[in-house]
Amino acid sequence: MKKNNSSNYFPTIGIECHVQLKTKTKLFAAVKISEGDIRPNIATSHICFGMPGALPVLNERAIYLGIKAAFALNTKPQIFSKFDRKHYFYPDLPKGYQITQFSQPIILGGSVGIKTNGENKIINITRAHIEEDAGKIIHPPGKDYSLVDLNRAGVPLLEIVSEPEIHTAEDARAYAQELNLIMRYADVSNADMYLGNMRFDVNVSVSKDQSKLGTRTETKNLNSFKSVEKAVEYEIKRQIELLESGKQIVQETRGWDDAKQRTFSQRSKEDAHDYRYFPEPDVPPVILDQELINKIKSEMPITVSLIRNKLSTIGIEDSAIDTLLSEIKVGNFMYEIVNKYSVHTAKKIANWLSSDVQGYVADRVFTWDQVKLNESSMVELAKLTEDNTISSTSAKLILKEMLLNGEKPVDIANKLKLVQLSGSDDLLPIIQKVISENPDAVADLVAGKDKAIGYLVGQVMKLSSGKADPEISSKLIRQELKL
Amino acid sequence: MTKLTKDDIFKLAKLSNILVTESDVKSLVGEIEVILNYVSQLQALNLANTEPTYQVTGLSNVMRPDEEIDYRISTEDLMKNVPDVENNYIKVKRVL
Repeated sequence: MKKNNSSNYFPTIGIECHVQLKTKTKLFAAVKISEGDIRPNIATSHICFGMPGALPVLNERAIYLGIKAAFALNTKPQIFSKFDRKHYFYPDLPKGYQITQFSQPIILGGSVGIKTNGENKIINITRAHIEEDAGKIIHPPGKDYSLVDLNRAGVPLLEIVSEPEIHTAEDARAYAQELNLIMRYADVSNADMYLGNMRFDVNVSVSKDQSKLGTRTETKNLNSFKSVEKAVEYEIKRQIELLESGKQIVQETRGWDDAKQRTFSQRSKEDAHDYRYFPEPDVPPVILDQELINKIKSEMPITVSLIRNKLSTIGIEDSAIDTLLSEIKVGNFMYEIVNKYSVHTAKKIANWLSSDVQGYVADRVFTWDQVKLNESSMVELAKLTEDNTISSTSAKLILKEMLLNGEKPVDIANKLKLVQLSGSDDLLPIIQKVISENPDAVADLVAGKDKAIGYLVGQVMKLSSGKADPEISSKLIRQELKL
Repeated sequence: MTKLTKDDIFKLAKLSNILVTESDVKSLVGEIEVILNYVSQLQALNLANTEPTYQVTGLSNVMRPDEEIDYRISTEDLMKNVPDVENNYIKVKRVL
């Protein structure tokens, strides 16, 4: 790589995130939202088509979720909020304007905590507003026309705008991922990346002077965490190289080419920023009732940051925590376990879930949806290993059975004959046999060669088909030989 | 007096998605200037302590439950209003 003075440049990143609110119907039309591949334009109405005289009526659930989002983002909702018209002409927007909260959004302020390389950082939120999504346009290759599907038009979104307080591509990704977890744990959105429930726009600039921002570019419509990281990385590098070769940064909208892993200039819509906002006369303002706000606050689920801190306090590694948190039911399950049981038990369970079970899921043995998490069974399994009734290898076999069919661990252990032999009644005959059959090793051990014990225990394990408790076996061998 | 140029008129036309020809410009400049000058009288007022008028109905919190409503309008009827159709997509002049 060509050496440049990249270390002299200070990158600054701000992120806008569009997250789909978890409603059954659209924001202003009582039309059921359908996701996935359905026939174009069937989930629509006269409101979605922007027919003259159609009256948009606000979905109260979207406001309820906006209030929840405020608390999830560590702030309070605004008592007064209102909607505006944002004007532009594009075929994905039949009305000629988008209804959005411009001047008085439901959320002002807030913050998101991220942790990268062991360091905790706070990224402040500027604002978050509710708005309707646009339709989807496809451009058939080689044709002189485009095709519009309005099924998505009018789906409720929350646009969350961060302060320009992010300075690395890694932190940009961490912020995007944390925001995704926050929205899922608060049950504000399914935030399913595959369904496009969450999309990111990244504003990137670089400057040699930390007190001044450079000219920024906006890379739009990133639909994966990886593309957020890669697009930021690419833009930082591209901008530094431009400046180093004496060129200027053009303030523009860029797109992300995932196949080529690069950003590209999008012909910016002329007059793109002349949106001529004015108050939406068809949708009266929203004035929140304090009682409703209090009620929603009291019903907020456990936050992802609380669970993260809890898991971190008992010494679980960050990467394992990330794995556990990535499934809501696992994160919430672990929170209960840590609250109720010993650190030892909790760590054991955390380890099973973050490595063994995660491994099964990664290998497609089963999906997280199929996993039956049962607190008492899981704790019982941990106890069975703690008191050496079963070996840790057997525990993993039982775990797999238990999570799939919901049986009790003790029953599975008996069924699979995995209970360890730890009583001298069971073990002594085996040990006596091993001693009489291995005179050389016994002689070595008696002569003080401690290594020989390993061999003898190995023989006991072999004769017992792996069911002997190695520690107790070792003790009993020494006892038999009066050592 | 606010003075408008031909470019201003074409920019406004573009933003409004209205076709304006060279021959329209002269009359439009005059008409829009009159409107702007009328608005500028309002701009001269000191409104620092005046609550902006967001809407005139006095209503607030007009909302509906998150339930589907049968509007009794079929997709077929809606699609009759679009310029062209292909596989139930709305076919438009190529954008991008």
